[in-house]
Amino acid sequence: MKHAESPAAKAAAFLREYGFIAILLAVIVGFSVSTNSFMSMANITGLLHSSVPLAIWAAGLALVVMTGSLDISIGSVAFFANAVGVILMVRQGVSPAIAVPATIAIGALCGLINGIVTVYLKVNPLITTMGAMFIYRGLALQLTGSRVISVPQGLRAFGNFRLGPVYTDILIGLAFLVVMHVVHKKTPFGRHVMALGNNKETADRVGVRVKAVGLSCFVLSGLCAGIGGLFSVFQIGAVTLQMGTGLEFTAIAAIVIGGISLMGGEGSIFPNYVLGILTLGIIENGLNHLGASPYVYPFVRGGIILVAMYADSLKRNGKPRVLLTE
Amino acid sequence: MNLKAIFCLAVSLLFVGASSTLSLSAEKAKAKTITIGLSWNEKMHAMIQAWEDYMKKYGEQYGKENNVTIKWIVNVADSDPSQQASNIEDLINQKVDVIIARPHDAAAIGASIAAARKAGVKFITFDRKSSGVQPDAHVGADSFNQAISTSEAFAKILKDKGIKGKAIELMGDLRDMNAVQRSKGWHDVEKSKKQWTTVIQVPTEWDAQKFMTGTANALQAHPEANCMFIASDFAFSAVQTALENAGRWAPIGDPKHMYIASQDVNPQGYEAMKAGYIDVATTYDCYFHAVELVKVAAKLANGENLKGKDFLVAGRVATPANVETLDNMWARDYKD
Repeated sequence: MKHAESPAAKAAAFLREYGFIAILLAVIVGFSVSTNSFMSMANITGLLHSSVPLAIWAAGLALVVMTGSLDISIGSVAFFANAVGVILMVRQGVSPAIAVPATIAIGALCGLINGIVTVYLKVNPLITTMGAMFIYRGLALQLTGSRVISVPQGLRAFGNFRLGPVYTDILIGLAFLVVMHVVHKKTPFGRHVMALGNNKETADRVGVRVKAVGLSCFVLSGLCAGIGGLFSVFQIGAVTLQMGTGLEFTAIAAIVIGGISLMGGEGSIFPNYVLGILTLGIIENGLNHLGASPYVYPFVRGGIILVAMYADSLKRNGKPRVLLTE
Repeated sequence: MNLKAIFCLAVSLLFVGASSTLSLSAEKAKAKTITIGLSWNEKMHAMIQAWEDYMKKYGEQYGKENNVTIKWIVNVADSDPSQQASNIEDLINQKVDVIIARPHDAAAIGASIAAARKAGVKFITFDRKSSGVQPDAHVGADSFNQAISTSEAFAKILKDKGIKGKAIELMGDLRDMNAVQRSKGWHDVEKSKKQWTTVIQVPTEWDAQKFMTGTANALQAHPEANCMFIASDFAFSAVQTALENAGRWAPIGDPKHMYIASQDVNPQGYEAMKAGYIDVATTYDCYFHAVELVKVAAKLANGENLKGKDFLVAGRVATPANVETLDNMWARDYKD
């Protein structure tokens, strides 16, 4: 028997699902009213430009999370892969045409190693990727000799190239996320990702190649980390020693804020993930424009994550586990 | 010369040779060995390698001058306070004379200081102070005075040019006392000299990406800004990117020039200053820190009671005019 929902229940469900968007819109309006510069075209493009590295960096992690797993090594993977790439270019004189694909391949390789240990050797993903986080960072520090390595001027110019008022990396980043979205929503692989997140045993019983899908998500996570790192390096013009430090938490925060459940089986690249990335960027940007006290930033960031986690928990607890049908 | 004379000469030579060898051996025997345990919290910065290299280099020089041999035992804690505590315990067990530690956690290091004291091992905190139990001595940079000297020199530059500054301040990580002290120094001089007004403070958390976005956002919010204070120039290329994107990247003398005061003269800052984009900075002098550390460690090893005194090394004011001639610049030696 199907129960008709009361208007109050419908409103509550709507708020649970889209309440965060309403809050975000209110925040945007608030920043726009409080400052003259926040809603300017230049600021919006600047905000999108600075959001591109994180958006790509963590897109693979979003898929890993949707399978109900976790990868906290993405910051170190990006650091290691990009350290190798930049060293090839700067110290060995290798052409970017070779060094850039090598960077991406190293990122994917790191993801593959994480995936094998997690999926095939059945080591807890948190433990695996925590170990990997230390290993890749240690290797990167060893390779760089603990030195900041600047990239050639031409690559920095490429990372900040504009077509009219729009940075080209915004367009590349958007295209990348659209491809990820299509892969997630329109291919059997994407459906299998969600199946894994919902219930691994059931997915296995219905013929999903659970291990292959899980492994592929880790490879994608490493690959995205490598590419996102490249965008960051090209924008700022250097591989710094702090590269990717704490990034895993920022990425997880963006994922949770966007409404992708840490329990897996829920969420999407558009709009969830992108919304989460933009929310963090907007908050940081808006506080900059407001000239907020530097001590306010972590407070606001933490508050938003808390609200998002609470919303996620409400969604989970409020959702009927079994659909009642007539 | 008869045989007797030759024999006497030979015996005398033998005697002189033997006695000089004996006296050399005795001198060598007198040369004291000081074993120093060096506990790094992490090695994520070229500066830390520079410190270590300079310590060992000056240690050799100090040893020759003072007839001591300095032995080093080094360990690294990979940014983990409990690992650092365990590393320091190892140093105590190896019966080193003095421990030098760069604490990762200002509070947690207190337990290690207490353990060393109980074992009769002298303890020096380096670069970062302990917030609890106090060591036998502390050696570090004077971050507050570093910012004061930069800011005063910057105020003079602006005054000489007849400019009233509207400043963007890029702060460091607010959990880092050096960052907090630098900000305080900048604002103290702002109040006393009244040569600029800080229109916006941007926290960077020492994240290069935030140096870029923070500068870009600040310039959007305050296009009238004409000067900057940067808490450290280790990621200066990120600031350069933001200034370029805003059309504000111009060297000294150009009407579009953004007046910049920074801290440390790291490799990227060094290059930017040489090229005339940074107006003034105060060096973070690794070499002189190392010299002070070795001297303080030797004093403690020789039984001197330093009563927990702070030995703070002031940096040197660098400008495009003198940056290439300042000696012992780690940024020159350790640039890629």
